[in-house]
Amino acid sequence: MTSENLQGAVRKLMTLDGNSVRNATSKMDLAPRIEGGLAYATDQRHLPGLLHGAILRSTCAHALITRVDTSRALNMPGVHAVIKADDVPGLNRFGIVIRDQPVFCDDRVRYEGDAIAAVAADTPEQARAALDAIEVDYQPLPVVSDASLAEQQTAIHSSHEEHGGSNLLVRETLECGDIDDALSRCTVIAEHHYQTPRQMHVFMETEGGVAIPDGKGGVLFRVGCQSGHRDVEQLADILGVAREKVAVESMATGGAFGGKDELTVQPAAGLLALKTGRPVMIHLDRFESCRAGIKRHPVSVKMTTGCDAAGRLLAHKVEAVLDTGAYASLGPAVLENYLDHATAPLYRIEAYRVSGRLVYTNNGVCGAFRGFGGNQATFAVESQLDELARGLGIEPATLRRINLRSPGDAGSRNQTVRWTAPPADVLAAAVASPLWSRGDTDNGRWLTGTGMAMGAQGNGLGDGLPDSGGGRISLSPAGRICVEFGFTDYGQNIVESITRSVCNGVGCREADVEVVLGSSRGPDSGPTSASRSTVLVHGVLASILPRWMDAVRGHAARVSGQPEKGLEFGPGGIFSDGRQVLSYRELAESTNPGGMTANASQDFPVAPDSEHPVGRYLQLQIATVARVEVDRITGRVRVTDLHHVTAAGPVIYPPGYLGQIEGAAVMGQGMTLTEDMTAHEGRYQADNLDQYLIPTFHDAPLQRVDVLDNTPEDDPYPVRGVGELGIEAVAPAITAAIEAATGVRVRRLPVDPGDLLVAMAAQEQNL
Amino acid sequence: MHPESPRQAVSFAKRFRSPYIAGGTWLQPSCERDRQWPVQLVALNPDWPEFRGIRETEEGLSIGALTTLDELARHPLMALYLPQLNGLIKRVAGPGVRHLGTVGGNLFAGGDLSALALALDTEVDLVGSKGSNRRPLTRWLPDRQGGDLLRSVSLPDSRGWRVSLEKLGYRERFSPTRATVACVHDGEKVQLAVCGEGGPGRLTVTEAMLRDEGIRELTDLAIVVDSELETLGWHDTRLRLAVRRMLESGLMELTRDV
Repeated sequence: MTSENLQGAVRKLMTLDGNSVRNATSKMDLAPRIEGGLAYATDQRHLPGLLHGAILRSTCAHALITRVDTSRALNMPGVHAVIKADDVPGLNRFGIVIRDQPVFCDDRVRYEGDAIAAVAADTPEQARAALDAIEVDYQPLPVVSDASLAEQQTAIHSSHEEHGGSNLLVRETLECGDIDDALSRCTVIAEHHYQTPRQMHVFMETEGGVAIPDGKGGVLFRVGCQSGHRDVEQLADILGVAREKVAVESMATGGAFGGKDELTVQPAAGLLALKTGRPVMIHLDRFESCRAGIKRHPVSVKMTTGCDAAGRLLAHKVEAVLDTGAYASLGPAVLENYLDHATAPLYRIEAYRVSGRLVYTNNGVCGAFRGFGGNQATFAVESQLDELARGLGIEPATLRRINLRSPGDAGSRNQTVRWTAPPADVLAAAVASPLWSRGDTDNGRWLTGTGMAMGAQGNGLGDGLPDSGGGRISLSPAGRICVEFGFTDYGQNIVESITRSVCNGVGCREADVEVVLGSSRGPDSGPTSASRSTVLVHGVLASILPRWMDAVRGHAARVSGQPEKGLEFGPGGIFSDGRQVLSYRELAESTNPGGMTANASQDFPVAPDSEHPVGRYLQLQIATVARVEVDRITGRVRVTDLHHVTAAGPVIYPPGYLGQIEGAAVMGQGMTLTEDMTAHEGRYQADNLDQYLIPTFHDAPLQRVDVLDNTPEDDPYPVRGVGELGIEAVAPAITAAIEAATGVRVRRLPVDPGDLLVAMAAQEQNL
Repeated sequence: MHPESPRQAVSFAKRFRSPYIAGGTWLQPSCERDRQWPVQLVALNPDWPEFRGIRETEEGLSIGALTTLDELARHPLMALYLPQLNGLIKRVAGPGVRHLGTVGGNLFAGGDLSALALALDTEVDLVGSKGSNRRPLTRWLPDRQGGDLLRSVSLPDSRGWRVSLEKLGYRERFSPTRATVACVHDGEKVQLAVCGEGGPGRLTVTEAMLRDEGIRELTDLAIVVDSELETLGWHDTRLRLAVRRMLESGLMELTRDV
């Protein structure tokens, strides 16, 4: 690929570099996070009367439970309670989309790690010893381990047995045009299978938290989670209490990435807290987290894509199978996002039929994970485009340029779309990357290659899911502008983003702002996921700040006796003619607590005028250029450079933006090169981080993040969230680079160096 | 248990069927994984004579079994005798493990040092219940669960030897060893060894062939190496291909400019 000039009128193109970070201030105390000193939910060991909980998990991937005997465990030293399925007073089920996962299995276990019972004891060691004393008899059942064959096997959920006896959870198809006719007119057709791995989130701090009973039948949960309000609904139903009796405080976490979106330890901890009347802490160790925690859906897909002789995409056919494991969790939403991305949202295609099946198996549980099905689909789509370009004998970038959508075009679902830059400009910036100019070498031990892929990412939960969120602003008694949202800050530093927006909107200084997050007793902002927080924060603040400022200004006028018209907000207080007339503290003292408070809520923007709600309205883009080295001797792959061109609106907080893009990209690199929680007969083949291998600092490439912002002046939603964007195109960019280096196209992730070496050796023999 | 002498340590280990503990970097994750902690451990004392440190001997070097990997990498004698080692050590585990992990533990676990030690004809000095004894590493490795305590390893004087070392992992650092390959040329003959997923082993058949045919005239090295690796327990054909190429690369390095 050679250089290419930027096209179109680019208003802003800037590189976020080290200076962007060094020059930024942060309210977040970063040092403890870096040094491992951040206090997590499970560091609350000082709580009076604290008990330690532990969960007994199935040792079988699929079996009937014929007996559970907890009598010995109950009499173990230090044990205060042992509970199982018949101790659940409310609904013994949970799940974000479908409540199909038992808190404690009653008659059947469906994965190795399914919860059967739980214990509360004085010490963690006593709790574990009591677990060992619980006797469980199993009657093994056939294990459903191959997702592609799952529908032919007996259903693992009895409710599905009643409805046809299938392990098919959801089947969905998106269609546009006449696919058969379009295929018949193609000059070049690429048909390939692709496979992506079961990836683990690997947060710094594993799942855990404390349930604290209030002595009146209610429970306060202090946990690492992503959606306190939604958790309240589920937990109240499980505990059999009114929702007002349950509260959740989202505590600092060492990352979540979707893996704490679903309930984790909360049900067992809450039940034990109510049973014992004492606070109960449960903290999964890394082994248990690996075994029982949510994972990314492995996807197996066959794609058939065709174009005419001029390179115009005519037909695109997709048949995907997603393995959701034993329970649905967010699987249906992941499937929906996978299918949306499989329609190739960046490109005009005359006709497509995109089908996907979400199936139950006994392979653990899969759910939300950064990218959420999108990056799995993009890997295959972008690889297909490269195949077609090769078939036509043209550059991959040329094929993309022919087919990229333009601003004003409808989206792939025929919905209205808001881009923040023309896709062609993003492509042009990527093609101009200096990485291309280094050239590829094919001599010596290390083969080098450069490749590129593009991706689109929609903000928001997606099609048809309830998606709204609110916030609150007030003046605290201490005279600080208090901004409350229900979101969780799990390291993305949304506090800083909110603070900056308030400072920009009000004209105050950062020290005047206090951000309160993550309490279910505060405003319901919806889940901290799907790159939706930033959009909602700015939407809500845009609505709330003018009203609140008017009210405060009016009050200040009354208190100060100054004309309201001349009063302005400024650092530390209210000013008139450049002179401070009231501090925020004096203002707060002049009103009743809770006096100057304003609330606002808004629905997440979805595409208007669509027949059915299509969530992919606010679209972001990324083009990632990867440079790799491949060892001719061993097949080992090193990613040396990643250059991302992003179009996601203006940057509010540069270090946060940079961190999200770079961090997500390294996560995508892990999925591409080393990470896969393989399962054999329902048993995971890795149980800790010495077997499940994530990238280390030495594996992380040099990265450059460019921001291309050409957001129209009249865009009502200029600020977008970038929590997932960085992972979108990494995998196909790396595999394209590998192909440039070796001539071998990898379609199964993670890249197996042994397979790559064999393919390279075969090519050498053919030379 | 804190025995007063190496002999007592051996005695404790046998009598109580308790494992030794030195750095603990291999024992700890193993116990955590199995959720089974030994009731008693026999603590090894680095202050026991010859158990820690590196010294020159008439034959070459003696390295105490309780010498940490960090100490090994930084020691000036190693820079003199085996300057190639430092590059390998950087790819052994991570800094924390290298700070605690010992030479003896690494060899006992068949770790990255095994290939080099095998290729160098290393001998091990052992403390047993009936006294001390010395034997080749090749004989100790298959029998290392026997309970005798590794005191030190003896390396030949390798100054001026050509040594090629390479580790293949899954990632750049802190990776389990897929394969580590050591090629040594002592001025007269080539010695080859591997360790990793197929286990540690000396490639004696390949060495014999190299002796007979020489490196430059060798035409069917691939077949011999492949066959020998399979015999040693390296069953993954793709990994054998990588090891074979690593060996070829190592041999090229040894013969460069000769």
